[in-house]
Amino acid sequence: MSVKVGIPRALLYYYYYPLWKDFFESLGCEVVLSDKSNKGILDSGIKNTVDEACLPVKLAFGHVKNLADKPVDYIFIPRLVSVAYKEYICPKFLGFPDMARQNIVGLPAVIDTTISFMRKRHNVDQAYKQLGKKFSGNPIKVRQAYHKGLRALAKYNQLLLKGHLPEEAMSIMYDRSAKASQVKPCGDLNIAIIGHPYNIYDPYISMNIIKRLQSMGVVVVTPDHLSEDEVRHQAGRLPKKLFWTLGQRMIGAGYHYAESEDIDGIIHIAAFGCGPDSMTGELIERNIRGSTKLPFLNLTLDEHTGEAGVITRLEAFLDMVRWKNSPKKQFIS
Amino acid sequence: MIGYLGVDVGSVSTNIVLINEDNQVLENLYLRTQGQPIRTVQQGLKKLAQHLPISTVIKGVGTTGSARHLSAVMVGADVVKNEITAHAVAASQQVPGVQTVLEIGGQDSKIIILRNGVVADFAMNTVCAAGTGSFLDQQASRLNTPIEEFGTLALKSTTPVRIAGRCAVFAESDMIHKQQMGFELPDIVAGLCEALVRNYLNNVGKGKEILGPVVFQGGVAANVGMRKAFEKELGLEVIIPQNYDVMGAMGAALLAKEAVAKGQPTKFKGFGIADVNFAVGSFECDGCPNMCEVVEINEEAITIARWGDRCGKWANALVREQSKIS
Amino acid sequence: MKVTFPHMGYLYVCVKGLLEYLDIEVILPPPTSKRTLTLGTKYGPEFACMPLKLNLGNMIEASELGADTLIMIGGCGPCRFGYYAQVEYAILKDLGYHYNMVVLEPPDKHISELTTRIRKITGNKSWVQVIKAIRFAYQKSRAVDEVELMSFKIRPRELVLGETDRALAKAIKEIDNAASPQQLQLALLRSKDIMNSVAIDPNRPVIKIALIGEIYTLLDPFSNLNIERHLGRLGVEVDRSIYLSEWINDHLFMGLLKGIRSTKEYCQSAAPFLNHFVGGHGLETIGSVSVYAKRGYHGAIQLFPFTCMPEIVAQSILPKVGDALAMPVMTLIVDEHSGEAGMITRLEAFVDLLTRKREFKAN
Repeated sequence: MSVKVGIPRALLYYYYYPLWKDFFESLGCEVVLSDKSNKGILDSGIKNTVDEACLPVKLAFGHVKNLADKPVDYIFIPRLVSVAYKEYICPKFLGFPDMARQNIVGLPAVIDTTISFMRKRHNVDQAYKQLGKKFSGNPIKVRQAYHKGLRALAKYNQLLLKGHLPEEAMSIMYDRSAKASQVKPCGDLNIAIIGHPYNIYDPYISMNIIKRLQSMGVVVVTPDHLSEDEVRHQAGRLPKKLFWTLGQRMIGAGYHYAESEDIDGIIHIAAFGCGPDSMTGELIERNIRGSTKLPFLNLTLDEHTGEAGVITRLEAFLDMVRWKNSPKKQFIS
Repeated sequence: MIGYLGVDVGSVSTNIVLINEDNQVLENLYLRTQGQPIRTVQQGLKKLAQHLPISTVIKGVGTTGSARHLSAVMVGADVVKNEITAHAVAASQQVPGVQTVLEIGGQDSKIIILRNGVVADFAMNTVCAAGTGSFLDQQASRLNTPIEEFGTLALKSTTPVRIAGRCAVFAESDMIHKQQMGFELPDIVAGLCEALVRNYLNNVGKGKEILGPVVFQGGVAANVGMRKAFEKELGLEVIIPQNYDVMGAMGAALLAKEAVAKGQPTKFKGFGIADVNFAVGSFECDGCPNMCEVVEINEEAITIARWGDRCGKWANALVREQSKIS
Repeated sequence: MKVTFPHMGYLYVCVKGLLEYLDIEVILPPPTSKRTLTLGTKYGPEFACMPLKLNLGNMIEASELGADTLIMIGGCGPCRFGYYAQVEYAILKDLGYHYNMVVLEPPDKHISELTTRIRKITGNKSWVQVIKAIRFAYQKSRAVDEVELMSFKIRPRELVLGETDRALAKAIKEIDNAASPQQLQLALLRSKDIMNSVAIDPNRPVIKIALIGEIYTLLDPFSNLNIERHLGRLGVEVDRSIYLSEWINDHLFMGLLKGIRSTKEYCQSAAPFLNHFVGGHGLETIGSVSVYAKRGYHGAIQLFPFTCMPEIVAQSILPKVGDALAMPVMTLIVDEHSGEAGMITRLEAFVDLLTRKREFKAN
């Protein structure tokens, strides 16, 4: 019987899952993912979280609850303080393990390793070594597991840079039946979607926006298709360094795509009640409206967002972009 | 006589418009949807058919509004468009050169920014629908004033009262509070109009560059108090177009005209559909935890459309069946 | 150069004292009002927290009075406050208000970043002068806190309704008008006399409630709808988990001054429920409940602006803390749509609950 470690399919799962999966599996654990987001998961999340929390946190609570009911031996909710030098994710990530512990009934043992890059990379390596000790007494084995995880993460990031979306990249890596499709989706418009990974990639709370746009003949690009260097270089244009890592990525991508010749429009996706979004959204919007006049749409998601409303806005936005691009100013091309 | 139909089925009202080749509105109908979009559209078409000469040829049909897909499969539409595009098209046809469209309907509000005759930006209400037509209706009946007189009452005010609160419930309690303090009715009504305009501009109009000419449309545009409050707040003249209350349907008709301009025949099923039996049923799909409510619409016991399933299983199954039949 | 800065309760008393000590012309924004909030709501991001909107309104109103240089406090996250100045500046610029902005924040790489910024305001004044001015400002904040603390004790016991508030306004004016440390000493004596002249009934039984939560809404009466005044009138003696002078010590002097209440005690007391910093004052909020429970307070009220991230973390843990310590905790969230009537209803109900609980215990 191997130990079952549950990982919620939420928050930074979209950035670090390959690392976590390979790390735990190399140490002989069985990794159990929560189910894909659905109405039931969101509802149970809403039931267990304070009303004022933002949508992604509510959803993450639902995923933790979903794992608690599976059952698993451990739930892995690392305390993600910081993943880059002198930067944070956001206050709710800092307190997430405690929020979950105090609010979810029947929680199995929680692994809340603190991941903090605040000062040195070394601290992160140490954190994984400490974590590995839980499952193996052999330090060499732990180090190998960690390095295997890092290699998986590097491979995953490569796939993202090639233009794959997270779900595609993961199925290329882990699903033997899936063929690495190098076929680029085609369409007549290129639209950039700017938002937190756990909002734009979650098919449920994003109303499946990426697939929906693709079916409307749009090629979708996201901040994760850009290299770290490019994003940081662009975000460096701010008069003061932004101390939210994800916000940096969003602003950098916003600036980058606003200046790209082949981008026809930008959609910014904010979660209702998200602190950093309320600031970065404002800065991105001011930049785009001020300089480039690129079509821009701001969508705010919360648990009451109706699908109909989102579809109406998306359709109108695409009409606007196509209308703008059409030489004869006809609505129907 | 040749005409194009535009059908706008919204949450509160359903409008049907007939335009001719010169984009003039020949007929316009305003009906209350009352939660029965199919029956309402059928009644509307029946009424329209009674008005029109037998020789009328409908060359194109467009649908818009929140029930646009439902009405499209019913009548056989050539174009199905969201209401933002429809409103923008109608506004730029009625007021050439328009740069800002303010639209307040029954339960939704939007702003559309046009530059050089093209939509450059738009927004719809986000977290709140306070200040739309339904709310005004409700307040008018609470104050025992017919909604038609609401606006003229506001014009009588010399010092509008400040009404607080974005949320309709809070605004209402603040109004009651102000009444109990003894303020005059016209001042309260004018204050309400100003509060709604303020909220509209803070929510929908935030960060938008509002330039003239400004067109104000949608059912609420009938309210002169709202128009005055907009003019006061924006410092610009606000134009109410002739067909302010059916602009969505008019836009749909204009779009239909454009869609069939390339010579393709219309898909319109004819006015006979007013007497056809349409039945809508729904079932909960238990294929996955999403438990989607799938809606299906039947025309004389044959399923013609399904929607509501996130995964597309049911909607696609129908497409396959139909292609087998044909 | 006409310098201004945003309001936060009585913060203006010490910042104005500091600048005028250095002979710098100060333009105070008009007291925060409904108009301030309307302006801030109109131009600020819809989902930003209320302090940002109020700050923005202050800045617009100060600019109307001719201010041209703006002092703001910055920070390095993770709470939004650290990036306020940048967003506000971008909005003001787009609106056509041209300010020179000086942001005082912990230096990113070297202390010289901070000193050059201070130099922008102080010009050729010697560092000795500047340090003296800072000390003077700090003394003012201590004086303000002393009379505020007196008002907390006097207000629930006053014989004539509203007397305490009138006395407090007068006392603050005395402190505000003092232009040198010597004058300040005399002013403090006078202001204490003013406070002591309020007729009270020392034997009136009072309920004790701690106000905890986010700093701005705790310190700024406009943003918290005068909660201290309402509670006082309901016969409640209040205390705040943080005072102006403590905030200055913790934030601007990096906690250098010893011997005054520091937030460290709170952080230690939070350990059983939360043992990691979560930005803002979230950790302190959790810890302060147990500190006040030990001090015999009957209840606590958590205050924060809508969407405040660190306080939401605290809010979701607080019920457990309250249960563990048998201390009722109520959360009040304020934003531009909050109404005073709704708040008073909640306060009355909470005070009733605590009173009944106390009587029940006594029997």
